[in-house]
Amino acid sequence: MINATKKWLFLKISSAIFVPLKLWFLFNLVSIYDKSYNEVLSFFISQPTKFLFSLFIIFAYFYSALSISEVFEDYIQNEKLKNVANKSLFLFAIIIPILVLIILYKLSL
Amino acid sequence: MKDKNPLSPHIQIYSWHISSLVSISHRIAGIVNILIITLICCWIAYLLLGNNNYEIIFNFFGTYLGKFLIVGSVWSFSFQALSEIRHLFWDLGFGFEIKTSNITGILVIFGSFILTIFFILIKNSLL
Repeated sequence: MINATKKWLFLKISSAIFVPLKLWFLFNLVSIYDKSYNEVLSFFISQPTKFLFSLFIIFAYFYSALSISEVFEDYIQNEKLKNVANKSLFLFAIIIPILVLIILYKLSL
Repeated sequence: MKDKNPLSPHIQIYSWHISSLVSISHRIAGIVNILIITLICCWIAYLLLGNNNYEIIFNFFGTYLGKFLIVGSVWSFSFQALSEIRHLFWDLGFGFEIKTSNITGILVIFGSFILTIFFILIKNSLL
Protein backbone atom coordinates (compact mmCIF):
# COMPACT_ATOMS: atom_id res chain seq x y z
CA MET A 1 0.00 0.00 0.00
CA ILE A 2 1.44 3.38 -0.97
CA ASN A 3 1.81 6.18 1.59
CA ALA A 4 -0.92 8.35 0.05
CA THR A 5 -3.42 5.46 0.35
CA LYS A 6 -2.39 4.84 3.97
CA LYS A 7 -2.82 8.55 4.74
CA TRP A 8 -6.27 8.57 3.10
CA LEU A 9 -7.32 5.47 5.09
CA PHE A 10 -6.09 6.97 8.37
CA LEU A 11 -7.92 10.21 7.53
CA LYS A 12 -11.20 8.38 6.88
CA ILE A 13 -10.96 6.06 9.89
CA SER A 14 -10.10 8.96 12.21
CA SER A 15 -12.94 10.99 10.68
CA ALA A 16 -15.47 8.18 11.31
CA ILE A 17 -14.34 8.02 14.96
CA PHE A 18 -14.02 11.78 15.41
CA VAL A 19 -17.55 12.73 14.21
CA PRO A 20 -19.47 10.98 17.07
CA LEU A 21 -16.86 12.17 19.60
CA LYS A 22 -17.35 15.72 18.32
CA LEU A 23 -21.13 15.51 18.73
CA TRP A 24 -20.68 14.03 22.24
CA PHE A 25 -18.33 16.89 23.15
CA LEU A 26 -20.67 19.56 21.73
CA PHE A 27 -23.55 18.20 23.78
CA ASN A 28 -21.41 18.46 26.93
CA LEU A 29 -19.74 21.76 26.03
CA VAL A 30 -23.04 23.65 25.94
CA SER A 31 -23.96 22.08 29.27
CA ILE A 32 -20.80 22.91 31.24
CA TYR A 33 -19.10 26.02 29.82
CA ASP A 34 -20.79 28.43 32.25
CA LYS A 35 -20.69 26.17 35.31
CA SER A 36 -18.61 26.76 38.44
CA TYR A 37 -15.01 25.62 38.85
CA ASN A 38 -15.99 22.53 40.87
CA GLU A 39 -18.63 21.43 38.36
CA VAL A 40 -16.28 21.87 35.39
CA LEU A 41 -13.46 20.10 37.23
CA SER A 42 -15.63 17.16 38.26
CA PHE A 43 -16.87 16.88 34.66
CA PHE A 44 -13.35 16.53 33.25
CA ILE A 45 -12.00 14.16 35.91
CA SER A 46 -14.97 11.80 36.15
CA GLN A 47 -15.27 8.66 34.07
CA PRO A 48 -16.24 8.02 31.28
CA THR A 49 -15.81 11.72 30.47
CA LYS A 50 -12.06 11.70 31.06
CA PHE A 51 -11.59 8.72 28.74
CA LEU A 52 -13.89 10.10 26.02
CA PHE A 53 -12.39 13.59 26.24
CA SER A 54 -8.87 12.12 25.94
CA LEU A 55 -9.98 10.23 22.84
CA PHE A 56 -11.64 13.39 21.51
CA ILE A 57 -8.39 15.38 21.85
CA ILE A 58 -6.19 12.62 20.38
CA PHE A 59 -8.45 12.12 17.36
CA ALA A 60 -9.04 15.87 16.93
CA TYR A 61 -5.33 16.55 16.54
CA PHE A 62 -4.64 13.38 14.53
CA TYR A 63 -7.49 14.09 12.09
CA SER A 64 -6.68 17.81 11.87
CA ALA A 65 -2.98 17.20 11.23
CA LEU A 66 -3.83 14.85 8.34
CA SER A 67 -6.47 17.13 6.85
CA ILE A 68 -4.49 20.37 7.25
CA SER A 69 -1.46 18.70 5.64
CA GLU A 70 -3.73 18.15 2.60
CA VAL A 71 -4.37 21.91 2.54
CA PHE A 72 -0.59 22.50 2.65
CA GLU A 73 -0.19 19.99 -0.19
CA ASP A 74 -2.75 21.89 -2.28
CA TYR A 75 -1.62 25.44 -1.63
CA ILE A 76 2.12 25.48 -0.75
CA GLN A 77 4.36 25.05 -3.77
CA ASN A 78 7.78 25.43 -2.14
CA GLU A 79 8.87 21.94 -0.98
CA LYS A 80 11.07 23.22 1.86
CA LEU A 81 8.35 25.45 3.25
CA LYS A 82 5.82 22.62 2.91
CA ASN A 83 8.09 20.21 4.83
CA VAL A 84 8.62 22.73 7.62
CA ALA A 85 4.87 23.41 7.81
CA ASN A 86 4.05 19.67 7.87
CA LYS A 87 6.69 18.84 10.49
CA SER A 88 5.56 21.74 12.72
CA LEU A 89 1.95 20.62 12.31
CA PHE A 90 2.69 16.99 13.26
CA LEU A 91 4.87 18.08 16.22
CA PHE A 92 2.03 20.31 17.42
CA ALA A 93 -0.44 17.42 16.97
CA ILE A 94 1.71 15.16 19.16
CA ILE A 95 2.70 17.64 21.89
CA ILE A 96 -0.72 19.17 22.65
CA PRO A 97 -2.59 15.86 23.24
CA ILE A 98 0.28 14.61 25.47
CA LEU A 99 0.12 17.85 27.48
CA VAL A 100 -3.67 17.53 27.81
CA LEU A 101 -3.36 13.92 29.01
CA ILE A 102 -0.80 15.04 31.62
CA ILE A 103 -3.08 17.91 32.70
CA LEU A 104 -6.07 15.55 33.04
CA TYR A 105 -3.92 13.17 35.10
CA LYS A 106 -2.75 16.05 37.34
CA LEU A 107 -6.31 17.32 37.77
CA SER A 108 -7.39 13.85 38.89
CA LEU A 109 -4.80 13.74 41.71
CA MET B 1 10.76 19.13 -9.74
CA LYS B 2 11.54 21.78 -7.14
CA ASP B 3 8.66 24.26 -6.82
CA LYS B 4 6.88 22.57 -9.76
CA ASN B 5 4.21 20.84 -7.72
CA PRO B 6 0.83 21.60 -9.34
CA LEU B 7 -1.43 23.51 -6.96
CA SER B 8 -5.17 23.56 -6.51
CA PRO B 9 -6.85 26.51 -8.21
CA HIS B 10 -7.04 29.45 -5.83
CA ILE B 11 -10.46 30.30 -4.52
CA GLN B 12 -10.77 33.61 -6.39
CA ILE B 13 -10.93 31.85 -9.79
CA TYR B 14 -13.74 29.45 -8.82
CA SER B 15 -17.19 30.04 -10.18
CA TRP B 16 -19.14 29.90 -6.93
CA HIS B 17 -21.67 27.14 -6.47
CA ILE B 18 -22.90 25.17 -3.50
CA SER B 19 -20.25 22.41 -3.67
CA SER B 20 -17.31 24.82 -3.78
CA LEU B 21 -18.84 26.89 -0.98
CA VAL B 22 -19.21 23.82 1.27
CA SER B 23 -15.78 22.46 0.29
CA ILE B 24 -13.92 25.71 1.05
CA SER B 25 -15.95 26.29 4.22
CA HIS B 26 -15.13 22.72 5.31
CA ARG B 27 -11.42 23.45 5.08
CA ILE B 28 -11.74 26.81 6.85
CA ALA B 29 -13.92 25.23 9.58
CA GLY B 30 -11.30 22.49 10.02
CA ILE B 31 -8.56 25.04 10.70
CA VAL B 32 -10.83 27.18 12.92
CA ASN B 33 -11.92 24.08 14.87
CA ILE B 34 -8.40 23.00 15.73
CA LEU B 35 -7.75 26.54 17.00
CA ILE B 36 -10.93 26.29 19.11
CA ILE B 37 -9.84 22.88 20.45
CA THR B 38 -6.45 24.40 21.36
CA LEU B 39 -8.33 27.12 23.28
CA ILE B 40 -10.34 24.39 25.01
CA CYS B 41 -7.02 22.75 25.99
CA CYS B 42 -5.93 26.11 27.48
CA TRP B 43 -9.26 26.20 29.36
CA ILE B 44 -8.51 22.73 30.82
CA ALA B 45 -4.97 23.86 31.72
CA TYR B 46 -6.44 26.89 33.49
CA LEU B 47 -8.24 24.51 35.84
CA LEU B 48 -4.81 23.65 37.29
CA LEU B 49 -4.56 27.18 38.69
CA GLY B 50 -7.40 26.51 41.12
CA ASN B 51 -10.79 27.86 42.05
CA ASN B 52 -9.74 31.46 42.79
CA ASN B 53 -8.16 32.02 39.37
CA TYR B 54 -11.07 30.38 37.53
CA GLU B 55 -13.28 33.42 38.16
CA ILE B 56 -11.81 35.16 35.07
CA ILE B 57 -12.93 32.27 32.82
CA PHE B 58 -16.31 32.00 34.57
CA ASN B 59 -16.95 35.74 34.08
CA PHE B 60 -15.76 35.62 30.45
CA PHE B 61 -18.25 32.87 29.56
CA GLY B 62 -20.98 35.05 31.06
CA THR B 63 -20.28 37.90 28.63
CA TYR B 64 -21.85 38.25 25.16
CA LEU B 65 -18.42 37.62 23.61
CA GLY B 66 -18.05 34.40 25.62
CA LYS B 67 -21.51 33.19 24.61
CA PHE B 68 -20.88 34.18 20.98
CA LEU B 69 -17.65 32.16 21.05
CA ILE B 70 -19.52 29.10 22.34
CA VAL B 71 -22.38 29.40 19.82
CA GLY B 72 -19.86 30.04 17.01
CA SER B 73 -17.85 27.00 18.09
CA VAL B 74 -20.98 24.82 18.17
CA TRP B 75 -21.88 25.97 14.65
CA SER B 76 -18.36 25.44 13.33
CA PHE B 77 -18.11 21.92 14.84
CA SER B 78 -21.63 21.04 13.62
CA PHE B 79 -20.82 22.22 10.10
CA GLN B 80 -17.60 20.21 9.97
CA ALA B 81 -19.29 17.09 11.41
CA LEU B 82 -22.11 17.18 8.83
CA SER B 83 -19.71 17.96 5.99
CA GLU B 84 -17.50 15.07 7.10
CA ILE B 85 -20.52 12.71 7.07
CA ARG B 86 -21.16 13.92 3.48
CA HIS B 87 -17.54 13.09 2.60
CA LEU B 88 -17.87 9.63 4.20
CA PHE B 89 -20.93 8.91 2.04
CA TRP B 90 -18.95 9.98 -1.02
CA ASP B 91 -16.18 7.58 0.03
CA LEU B 92 -18.75 4.79 0.13
CA GLY B 93 -19.76 5.70 -3.42
CA PHE B 94 -23.02 7.58 -2.74
CA GLY B 95 -24.10 11.11 -3.66
CA PHE B 96 -21.79 11.95 -6.57
CA GLU B 97 -24.55 13.10 -8.93
CA ILE B 98 -24.57 16.90 -9.30
CA LYS B 99 -28.18 17.21 -8.13
CA THR B 100 -27.59 15.00 -5.06
CA SER B 101 -24.32 16.78 -4.31
CA ASN B 102 -26.08 20.17 -4.40
CA ILE B 103 -28.89 18.91 -2.16
CA THR B 104 -26.47 17.41 0.41
CA GLY B 105 -24.44 20.66 0.30
CA ILE B 106 -27.57 22.65 1.17
CA LEU B 107 -28.41 20.08 3.86
CA VAL B 108 -24.96 20.55 5.40
CA ILE B 109 -25.37 24.35 5.53
CA PHE B 110 -28.92 24.38 6.91
CA GLY B 111 -28.30 21.28 9.04
CA SER B 112 -25.41 22.99 10.81
CA PHE B 113 -27.69 25.86 11.85
CA ILE B 114 -30.44 23.45 12.92
CA LEU B 115 -27.93 21.37 14.92
CA THR B 116 -26.62 24.54 16.60
CA ILE B 117 -30.16 25.56 17.58
CA PHE B 118 -30.78 21.99 18.79
CA PHE B 119 -27.71 22.11 21.07
CA ILE B 120 -28.71 25.55 22.42
CA LEU B 121 -32.24 24.26 23.10
CA ILE B 122 -30.77 21.28 24.95
CA LYS B 123 -28.74 23.72 27.04
CA ASN B 124 -31.84 25.79 27.84
CA SER B 125 -33.91 22.70 28.67
CA LEU B 126 -31.22 21.60 31.15
CA LEU B 127 -31.40 24.91 33.07
